[in-house]
Amino acid sequence: MKIKYFAWIRELTKNNEEYLDSNEIQNLEELKKFLSTKYPDLQNHFDQEILRFAVNQEYVVENIDLNEDDEIAMFPPVSGG
Amino acid sequence: MIKIQKENFNVEEEINSIKKIHSNVGAVTSFIGYVRDNNNNTNVESINLEVYEKMAYKQFKKIIEEANIKWSLIDTLIIHRYGKLQVNDKIVLVASFSSHRKDSFEACNFIMDYLKKDAPFWKNEFYDKKNEWLTNTS
Repeated sequence: MKIKYFAWIRELTKNNEEYLDSNEIQNLEELKKFLSTKYPDLQNHFDQEILRFAVNQEYVVENIDLNEDDEIAMFPPVSGG
Repeated sequence: MIKIQKENFNVEEEINSIKKIHSNVGAVTSFIGYVRDNNNNTNVESINLEVYEKMAYKQFKKIIEEANIKWSLIDTLIIHRYGKLQVNDKIVLVASFSSHRKDSFEACNFIMDYLKKDAPFWKNEFYDKKNEWLTNTS
């Protein structure tokens, strides 16, 4: 699956996007665990629940199942307009 | 119509290009957002706006559909810029086209409220010696 990062999350991961092994990551909670291991600095932000997730360009808040062809995005609160 | 672009735009031309195809439009409400020179008592020099473009198109389309259910609208225009912008540059234009003013006023406000809360754009503000990512508060 593809995961995209934006704003200061992109700076923290030093990556615009990357591909993850979907066999290891079945749902959103598993993805968060995987990412907080890979990027320990994220843990604090997960704990504060300030990061937002989108799957296939739709916001998700529940622990939904993830599929191999999903495009996931993780980003901080928005500041457009 | 939805446009996500780096380029500047001319408000009157953009509104006229839609107005001229609908002779039943009697009211247009527009909102224009600009880069201002001061934020939290700090002088702003420029901003860099980042966008998740694919999601922004999808979410704008959805919010226009929602506005169409709530109000009697003839057309809607959203233009949102991204990239490097200077003080006084336009960031966003939302225009609602309807027969009567109440629908266009309320729909324009509704779309802007959504846009500030959920549209996937991020402002990185540049000051004299540092820069900072912003979070919308309202």
